[in-house]
Amino acid sequence: MLLPRFDFHDPASVQEALDLKKTYRENARILAGGTDLLVHLKKDLVSVEHLISVTKIDELLKIEEKGGDITIGACVTMASLAASGLIGEKLPALKQGAQSLGNHLIRNKATIGGNACNASPAGDTLCALLIYDAAVILQNSEGAREVPVSDFFVGPGKSCINDDELLTGFRIAVPPAGSGADYIQLGKRKSSEINVVNVASYIEIDPANQNILNARIALGSVAPTPIRGAKAEQVLAGKTADDTVFFEAAEAARRDDCKPIDDFRGTAGYRQAMIGVLTRRTLAAALAQAQGK
Amino acid sequence: MKDFDVIRTRAHRLDTPDKATGKAVYVDDIDKPGMLYGALLQSPHAHANIISIDTSKAEALPGVKAVVTSKEAGSIKYGVSPARYDETVFAIDKVRYVGDEIAAVAAISLEIAQKAVALIEVEYEILPAVFTIEDAMKDGAPQLHEDFPKNLCAEVHHEFGDVEKALAESDIVKTTTVKNKRQDGACIEMQGCIAEFDRRGTLTLVSGTQVPHYVQRTVAMVLGMDIGKVRVKKPYVGAGFGIKASANPMELACCILARETNKPVKMNYTRDQVFKLARARHGFTHTITTGAKKDGTLMALKHECWLDGGAYSSFGIATVYYAGSLLGGPYKLPNMKYDGYRVYNNKPTCGAQRGHGAVIARATFEQQLDMIAGDLGMDPLELRVKNMMEAGDTTCNDLNMSSFGMAECIDAVRNGSGWDEKKGKMPNGKGIGMACGFFVSGAGYPIYRSDTYHGTVIVKLTEDGGTALVYTASAEIGQGSDTAFAMIAAEALGIPLENVRLESGDTDMGVDLGAYSSRQTLMTGHATKEAAEHAKAQVLEVLSGLLNVPVEEMDIKNGFIEFKNETPDITDIRTRYIKEHRGWIDNPDSEKLTFKEASRMAFLEKGSIVGTGKYKPHLLGGKFKGAAVGTSPAYGCSAQVAEVSVDVETGQITIERITDAHDCGKAINMTSVEGQMEGSVSMGIGEAMHEEVMFDDKGNVLNNDLAEYKIVTSMDMPQVDAVVVESDEPNGPFGAKEVGEGAIMPTIPAILNAVYDAIGVRVFELPLTPERVYWAIQEYQKKAG
Amino acid sequence: MKKIISVTINNEIYEIAVEPNQTLADLLRYDLGLTGTKKGCDTGDCGACTVILDGDVVNSCLVLAIQTDGSVVDTIEGLATEEGLHPIQEAFVEKGAIQCGYCSPGMIMSAKNLLDKNTNPTEQEIREGISGNLCRCTGYQKIIEAIDSQKS
Repeated sequence: MLLPRFDFHDPASVQEALDLKKTYRENARILAGGTDLLVHLKKDLVSVEHLISVTKIDELLKIEEKGGDITIGACVTMASLAASGLIGEKLPALKQGAQSLGNHLIRNKATIGGNACNASPAGDTLCALLIYDAAVILQNSEGAREVPVSDFFVGPGKSCINDDELLTGFRIAVPPAGSGADYIQLGKRKSSEINVVNVASYIEIDPANQNILNARIALGSVAPTPIRGAKAEQVLAGKTADDTVFFEAAEAARRDDCKPIDDFRGTAGYRQAMIGVLTRRTLAAALAQAQGK
Repeated sequence: MKDFDVIRTRAHRLDTPDKATGKAVYVDDIDKPGMLYGALLQSPHAHANIISIDTSKAEALPGVKAVVTSKEAGSIKYGVSPARYDETVFAIDKVRYVGDEIAAVAAISLEIAQKAVALIEVEYEILPAVFTIEDAMKDGAPQLHEDFPKNLCAEVHHEFGDVEKALAESDIVKTTTVKNKRQDGACIEMQGCIAEFDRRGTLTLVSGTQVPHYVQRTVAMVLGMDIGKVRVKKPYVGAGFGIKASANPMELACCILARETNKPVKMNYTRDQVFKLARARHGFTHTITTGAKKDGTLMALKHECWLDGGAYSSFGIATVYYAGSLLGGPYKLPNMKYDGYRVYNNKPTCGAQRGHGAVIARATFEQQLDMIAGDLGMDPLELRVKNMMEAGDTTCNDLNMSSFGMAECIDAVRNGSGWDEKKGKMPNGKGIGMACGFFVSGAGYPIYRSDTYHGTVIVKLTEDGGTALVYTASAEIGQGSDTAFAMIAAEALGIPLENVRLESGDTDMGVDLGAYSSRQTLMTGHATKEAAEHAKAQVLEVLSGLLNVPVEEMDIKNGFIEFKNETPDITDIRTRYIKEHRGWIDNPDSEKLTFKEASRMAFLEKGSIVGTGKYKPHLLGGKFKGAAVGTSPAYGCSAQVAEVSVDVETGQITIERITDAHDCGKAINMTSVEGQMEGSVSMGIGEAMHEEVMFDDKGNVLNNDLAEYKIVTSMDMPQVDAVVVESDEPNGPFGAKEVGEGAIMPTIPAILNAVYDAIGVRVFELPLTPERVYWAIQEYQKKAG
Repeated sequence: MKKIISVTINNEIYEIAVEPNQTLADLLRYDLGLTGTKKGCDTGDCGACTVILDGDVVNSCLVLAIQTDGSVVDTIEGLATEEGLHPIQEAFVEKGAIQCGYCSPGMIMSAKNLLDKNTNPTEQEIREGISGNLCRCTGYQKIIEAIDSQKS
């Protein structure tokens, strides 16, 4: 298969990349890992005149912890995320998401920024970004802005990123002690999957009485974008964490939060049912982690 | 037990060092000087009349060397079985599926060829299309082929014995319907080819095919050429599984482009085009009724099958026969009735895939046997033991089991899996299931009616006497046939494997029907053995004259001449050999006379020593119409046990372990036999669990890549314990028969039965995706209240 | 417009002009004659084109050749030496891990990269380490045995 013809740009800095973005605007696309974009170009699903590769910009490749925040550069690969001790320890659901994506070859190229910009409702790291309440860092030549990840996705394949902007990374507050998180994805086979349903849950408890101080649930593949399970979260607010309340939250996620459709990967009915199962399971696992089990 | 030196070992394959290092050449690895690149225009519509085709803009594009349509290709129909030649290279008046070929372009680059294809203007009149068996059979449904009303491509009606009577006499009668989905072969290598004419008008087509012989015949027929002017060569091929077992439109288009341009032309399918060509497993709907006595004795089988065929026939006429005939065994079944129907529709064409026609029939029947055993309170394994055939038995439809290690296979999986300790004793959510199967060891007849030999082989000894060269037109497509034939030649000649070289896959080397119907080991193997024995006889004959020892008193073993009685004086021969200046570093100094010396003497006396061998089956099978499909000189058989766990909340199944036993007759190469078994299991697991070609309502394949068409990955595949069972097949070379296809037979039903054992729910539709299993569980729970 | 890149492939430095839209797989196969790297899908789904790029295995059909300027690429052709096959290649031959052979170069590159990074992988880690390399012939059983035999 042939790629269409395009001009290739390989900026060495964010500033250089932003200058190119400003020049070419909608005629340019950012190339990160290329595991989606190059496939879409080969299949003639998108067109492009200028490709701006950003994978060699050092500042986009860093994972850092500073002042209670973890920042993750946009071009950190899934393999690097999965291998990072810091991510594994502090943001375990993000590690799980990164580890679940595609297969070992894809994970060596696919980036977290690319996963976000691709904005697939099934994206493997997106549920984790949602439950950790990540901020998306967007820059243009004027400066930077941060957008809560829950506002970042606009529709399938669409985000709120502007033509002159570059997603440079994510900022996530380090979850406090007494918190836990879990991610489960469900597909037809055990590797190289495109998810039928995927769910991440985060929970923070008061160790004294097991009361839920904070809970966030993210549902994938059941709406035009990955979404937060708002109703399910309401069910949990202030309650004592146990199987009964998790079941109620799962029911709320299944009944009220998710709006799945039928497609060739699965029916709405199955997806809805699985939202219930996975919400309950991720909450239970998150609680066990919060309790240090 | 016969004493073998080369076969029945774990010899390293001849081809794998080159394959491991990237040296092995596949068709897309080949470049020719001055080579052009071809591209196809395929229909975007499932059913449409072609009003006009305008190629002028494409022709005008710089770099384009030829644009061809049916004008250049002609209207000769081709296909697989002469009884159903229903394809032309390019559509003439109408297109019948999304992907039907309309035109082709050759240009100096692939980019230009593709641009030119986009410039061809076709005016269509869109016709209503049908995509299901039900819609295609309706009164007034759009017709795909004028000669086949109701879109009925082929039908079969067979009855052996008296089924209604036997069912009436049965204590238990069970009817079930099972539906699978269309498969894709998903060979990792996509088809490709290079065609080139020389200035004397000889066409050479290099193609990634399983069947150089049939491709040669088809190309010659469609291009109107003498067979002797068409040479088809197969480089290494990235697997076939049946999908590459007939000439494809790209091969033919490529030859026409080469003719028009007088330049070598290369063409490749993209993965999307592989899905459009299809020619893989049909969609089957089987309804089976089985009657049995209280003690488990099987009485009768009534069977109706509908095949979702697609736009053309391909192998379908054989498929619809196989789907019925191969339920005749492996159990004693005196009465069997079969009604089979293959239906055209506006989807890509189905054909043959590993276990041709028989896989879903087997799944349906073996699942039903488990249900019957359950109702009778019998161990399903015991039910099978009770009914299984033995060597020498003949089925009601005249298939003769000349060797049959079914009992040994069942014993092997029973012991290997710990069946007796596990069956009925596993916790909820975990289950064990088993099934059996059998398959032809080569089709008894060629695809076209002919008395042809099915295989001819030449064994030529090098003039120095040291090496045997085997020439065969058979097709190594990954299964290890080259190695098997080299081993057979070495065994038959009595020389070490390292002294055999082999060339294959070239129609100039003889006739060989190719790699399909699990035929090569038995058929090409026979021809190889005969050719090697012929060469050996010539060597011994010369030696007999020189040494004055009768031929019967000599043999060749491990590269040395053996004398049954007194060892004669070999000094003269050795001195003469050394004076021949054929050995530089390795002049023989052994006590025994070497094959090399003897073979050199034979050359000196007779010139080139060439042994020839040939094979065709003895007269097989019954006299009824269609008896030819299913007959074979021998049958392989197998048993498998699957162990699974099921997540009842999500419907996800994990296959924990497969224990697999297969009777391949004498194993030529033990490692290769296991490889075929393990590979069959993996394809069976894919089909059972997640493979299915899906379409939108316009006839487009929805999952036309290997991300969405899901073959098993290393993460899905369980441990497979493969047990090789060796019977001694009287009709096989050195007692060998098939393994390549038969080994897939039990996999799907063993899994279906294990899932039932785990959760108490029968699933009658494949594949067992988490969603399908989930809904089956829901329905079961609803019914159970 | 073509651009000259400098890339080290199997320890040889290549200075070569590439088109921006040319993939690494096509550069290797069609410009450099390194046809051991296979293409089974061209969309990153099968792993037949696996090469080691700067120490990590990738699908070379999803890497632009122009992106490899200054990089180090190892392909299947770089494994065997004058002394013979690489031990992993030997193991694949010995264990019968190769049938049609079309996935083998990519599979072997994944196996090598896995063993380079983890000399003693578990069976599960071996399965993970080849999870992007599809094989339709072998059922992976003998491939896993071959890789397992090369643990230290």
